[in-house]
Amino acid sequence: MKQYRTHLLVCAGTGCVAAGSFEIKTTLEKEITKRKLQNEVAIISTGCNGFCERGPIVVVQPDGIFYQRLKREDIPLLVEEHLIKGRPVKKLMYVPPTEAAPIPRMMDIGFFKHQRLIVLRNRGRIDPENIDEYIAFDGYRALEKALTDMTPEDIIKEVKDAGLRGRGGAGFPTGLKWELCHKTAGNSKYVVCNADEGDPGAFMDRSILEADPHAVLEGMIIGARAIEAAKGFIYVRTEYPLALRRIKIAIEQAEEYGLLGKNVLHTGFDFSIEVKRGAGAFVSGEETSLLAAIEGKIGIPKQRPPYPVKQGLWRKPTNINNVETWANVPHIILRGADWYSAIGTEGSKGTKIFSLVGKISNTGLVEVPMGITMKDIIYEIGGGIPNNKKIKAVQTGGPSGGCIPENLLDLTIDYESLKQAGSMMGSGGMIVMDEDTCMVDVAKYFMNFLRDESCGKCLSCREGTQRIWEILDKITKGRGRPEDIPLLEELAVATKDASMCGLGQTAANPVLSTLRYFRDEYQAHIKYKRCPAVVCKHIISSPCQHTCPIDTEAPQYIAYIAHGQFDKAYDIILKDNPLLNICARVCHHPCETKCRAGQGGKPISIRALKRAAIEHSSTRKRTSKRRKPSGAKVAIIGSGPSGLMAAHDLACRGYASTVFEALPVAGGMLAVGIPAYRLPKKALKEDIDRVVRAGAEVMTNQKLGRDFTLDQLFKQGYKAVYIAIGAHKSIKLGIPNEDTAGVVPAMEFLTKQSLSEKTNIGARIGVIGGGNSAVDAARAANRLPQVDDVTIIYRRTRNEMPAYAEEIEAALEEGINIQFLTAPTEIVMKDGRVAGVKCTRMELGAVDQSGRRRPIPIKGSESVFELDTLISAISEQPDISFLKKDHNFEITGWNTFVVNEETLATNIPGVFAGGDAIRGPSSVIDAMADGKKAAKAIDQYLSDKEIKFEYRVTRPSIYVEPVKLTVKETLESTRQVTWKLDPRKRAKNFNEVDLGLKKSAAIKEAKRCLRCDLEVRDEDEKEQK
Amino acid sequence: MINFILNGLEVQIQEGSTILEACKFYGIEIPTFCYYEGLSPYGGCRLCLVEIDKGENSKLVSSCTYPVEEGLIVRTNTKRVVNARKMMIELLVSICPQSKTIQDLASKFHVTSVRFPARHEDCVLCGRCVRMCKEQMQGGAIGFTNRGNKKKIETPFNIKSEECRLCGGCIYVCPACQLRCQGPDAMTDLCSGCLSLEPTCIEAHEDYQCWMATTGDCGTCEGRPDQKKSDKR
Repeated sequence: MKQYRTHLLVCAGTGCVAAGSFEIKTTLEKEITKRKLQNEVAIISTGCNGFCERGPIVVVQPDGIFYQRLKREDIPLLVEEHLIKGRPVKKLMYVPPTEAAPIPRMMDIGFFKHQRLIVLRNRGRIDPENIDEYIAFDGYRALEKALTDMTPEDIIKEVKDAGLRGRGGAGFPTGLKWELCHKTAGNSKYVVCNADEGDPGAFMDRSILEADPHAVLEGMIIGARAIEAAKGFIYVRTEYPLALRRIKIAIEQAEEYGLLGKNVLHTGFDFSIEVKRGAGAFVSGEETSLLAAIEGKIGIPKQRPPYPVKQGLWRKPTNINNVETWANVPHIILRGADWYSAIGTEGSKGTKIFSLVGKISNTGLVEVPMGITMKDIIYEIGGGIPNNKKIKAVQTGGPSGGCIPENLLDLTIDYESLKQAGSMMGSGGMIVMDEDTCMVDVAKYFMNFLRDESCGKCLSCREGTQRIWEILDKITKGRGRPEDIPLLEELAVATKDASMCGLGQTAANPVLSTLRYFRDEYQAHIKYKRCPAVVCKHIISSPCQHTCPIDTEAPQYIAYIAHGQFDKAYDIILKDNPLLNICARVCHHPCETKCRAGQGGKPISIRALKRAAIEHSSTRKRTSKRRKPSGAKVAIIGSGPSGLMAAHDLACRGYASTVFEALPVAGGMLAVGIPAYRLPKKALKEDIDRVVRAGAEVMTNQKLGRDFTLDQLFKQGYKAVYIAIGAHKSIKLGIPNEDTAGVVPAMEFLTKQSLSEKTNIGARIGVIGGGNSAVDAARAANRLPQVDDVTIIYRRTRNEMPAYAEEIEAALEEGINIQFLTAPTEIVMKDGRVAGVKCTRMELGAVDQSGRRRPIPIKGSESVFELDTLISAISEQPDISFLKKDHNFEITGWNTFVVNEETLATNIPGVFAGGDAIRGPSSVIDAMADGKKAAKAIDQYLSDKEIKFEYRVTRPSIYVEPVKLTVKETLESTRQVTWKLDPRKRAKNFNEVDLGLKKSAAIKEAKRCLRCDLEVRDEDEKEQK
Repeated sequence: MINFILNGLEVQIQEGSTILEACKFYGIEIPTFCYYEGLSPYGGCRLCLVEIDKGENSKLVSSCTYPVEEGLIVRTNTKRVVNARKMMIELLVSICPQSKTIQDLASKFHVTSVRFPARHEDCVLCGRCVRMCKEQMQGGAIGFTNRGNKKKIETPFNIKSEECRLCGGCIYVCPACQLRCQGPDAMTDLCSGCLSLEPTCIEAHEDYQCWMATTGDCGTCEGRPDQKKSDKR
């Protein structure tokens, strides 16, 4: 055999081929010839490496360098640098999503490092179309051993002792099946390989056939010997052309070498294999149905018993196993049952191949030992969830499997534990789902698959799956009723019980497992008409409107802006939101995070458009007369966003609402928590004035507990009270010397600064924390004249930082230093004042329950940051010091009020609470939504009605004609960003940083809107007809 | 002979019998629908379900297709069986509420509500006609096409079949298109008229007139001592 200096292994699995690996191979060949390296470098196309997402892949051996996502243009560089100059090309290597440096060697990459390859040992290593390469890696040695040294009984005993169980999903002991078939009398028997892999998102059988077809053949020949069969069939679906081609080539080669056919290896054993192509019916993966299909009949399951081992193909004893099971056999025979059974758990031995797909960084095929935890697969091999999303569930076992929720990810993987968790091993599909996946929609998807793929014989399966789908469809369209959930459960159980074959008996699993773990999502759809993952379009209409806690009709005002009608846009905004100036500046815009334009592009700048609508509207200054309220008196404690919203809405409903504010200025957190460079006082005042004009009264310097009590309010004739006191008290750090002079809680600092009081901070500032108040405090401190240097100290990395990304970005722009992976351990004192803070460096360890990697201190990494002032900003909670000792309120451990979630009523009649007072530090818009809800609840309470809300699916109130775009406009549309004050001009002043969008830019941006609301409108109209 | 346990009793039956045949032999009534004497068992309607084995391994099987095995434990009326059977009948009614056969089953097994919107189809895919055509008429003119929710009974390529001799055997055995009740229309999808209500025909007419006309009587008058069958017409 010819020797080469270097081998280039080009991956030729279906994934890489689709990404163009054949083209890469020919380009490589040309380039090698051009450089006259053809005698030194061999190019080999191999089977699938499993890391399909990174295709096309080339591995350079013997160096083990892994190149990925290659393009034709990269080839000359690769040949020049690596093969001629001996310098591996960094820019073509794999970079893990959370790191910056590339990993050169294949075996150092997390995806490969944690796998254990037995069945897939030859993947990416040999040319699957060349039998010699298989033989060179110990191929067919097991066959030789089985045929010459072992009796059929020996073979069966070895497989039985190894504890191999069927890899098709059900996990029946393989050795036992062989034994049953062996014992059945009969002169002609068959062995069958089930390669009808039909689960959505599963491709392990295909990959084995493509990467190592001879392993399957070898396993089958050994199995045939064991049960004394003379004929074998491989049933492959036609959708796998490459697998079909390679298995056919492998059979031809094996026949040529005397490994198949008459007198195999001169032992007198005859065995031949025929390939049957399946026409792509999922049910044909069921064994009796598959056998019917091989016989040329319709693929419909038959009653078992008789089992195939007694009466299978043409009523002869037949042993049928899955591709992966067959591929395991040579290893067991060659290396012994003891070796094999040492891998895995008590009941599940060996390894299992999973296709890891869905919302995961490293998509691909992985082989892991049984007993590994789900978490290891997802985080160590899979590299976690992309885009910093939160994992929600993992779906295993294909359509007939189930969903395993995030809190069960420590589950070890074996047949029993998966079954207990309500799922199953199945053939090994593993679909990872993140927060953007709606579980009702997932169940509906699988039921849609199954109602189509059911053979239709059993009424329970045919009608059961159809009716379950119908109910789910109804629920996802917002027409579900509470009684649908028990009906679903009843029907699902009946479908499972009454159906004959494996398909029907597991068909209800997607529903049962999602109902088991995600019942609240069903409830959200049915009762509240909400889709938490913002997926079900008939409920959400447009994601921006649905995600807005106060139901702002974003698509409508954006459409008016696109038409240039800023006044109409302004009216739409004002309809739902009297505090629009505030929202246009400081809302954390959940709408933009779910914007459809943001999927694969940049989301619409919805908040900037809102501000543009206000600023460019001519009706903005239109003043109306102050309304005179006539109804009952309602007291509102706190003038933050929640209190103002409640006061406004109550006033509009005719109540005399009075807002009591403890501080000398109105606005709560808006006035003293959010610095003026984000929310100018003028903008805030405009909104507060609007609330006052609506009929509300705002009284400052009125602190509950100091100036008045709740009892007094009721005595003064207030009929209801809304507590919206916010969360103004900073939580302590819990480290030594915290009470030293010079340690300032963030809220105290921000409040004093906003009220222009003396803040007493020094020149070098440290801020502890990673939330918004930490960034606000840091940016505000940086603007003070005496401050030279500001450092934020945060214990995790930027990815985990809870502050809004745009705020972090701005802080960095303004020259604020952020120390990531650093945690304070002690405050250093000098002369009774803060002199610095002792910190320890952290590293990220295993993933914790929050789905983030837990920071772990690095021993001996302590260092001291020298400081004059330390601002602590780890979190806030409501200040409930006004409550007397004998109060009757129900309070949580976080000092927040316990309320009825639907009505916001506290346990004391007539007293309601909302905003940060019940949520802890949260967003402005959520607080406003609470205010709106409280106003509605108080209205019903005061009209002596039972407090009950009607929930409807999200729909816009009016129709706005879409704008027509020219082709040029469509092609050239890019996200318009607001003008920002130059970072140099921001220094030492509190001028507003964000300058908004110009009129033309706003119109341009608004034209980018995809108008998701129209999609449902068309269907609604159709249904009405 | 094979020994097995039927509803707690140790009994014997000839080898090769199905559970349904054994139950019939011992006088235990099991509802059937797609089963038809003289045709091969199909096991599609799932009405003849019985529970076999005990504990964790117990499962429901269709008695018409399941062969009796040595030592098999069979229970014909467990809660699981009853619940599954009722659901099957409810599903049948929702597909084809106009079938008297199905409505009678609903009445008999106390199906009191149908929670699925009715589809009023002409076929419930029990496959009696397919087997009749092939097995008794030696025809093979019709068969199943498609699968899942698109499954249908048709002639090949849905054109007139050369094999069909218009014998009408298929219609003769059809439980959906035959025996349409000609009584007063029920207010809901579920009629439950015949077996659970007073015969409406007597209320409506002084002189007894059977609504069923030539399709055979509905049976409600059977139990009334004052009405003898011979007085009817």
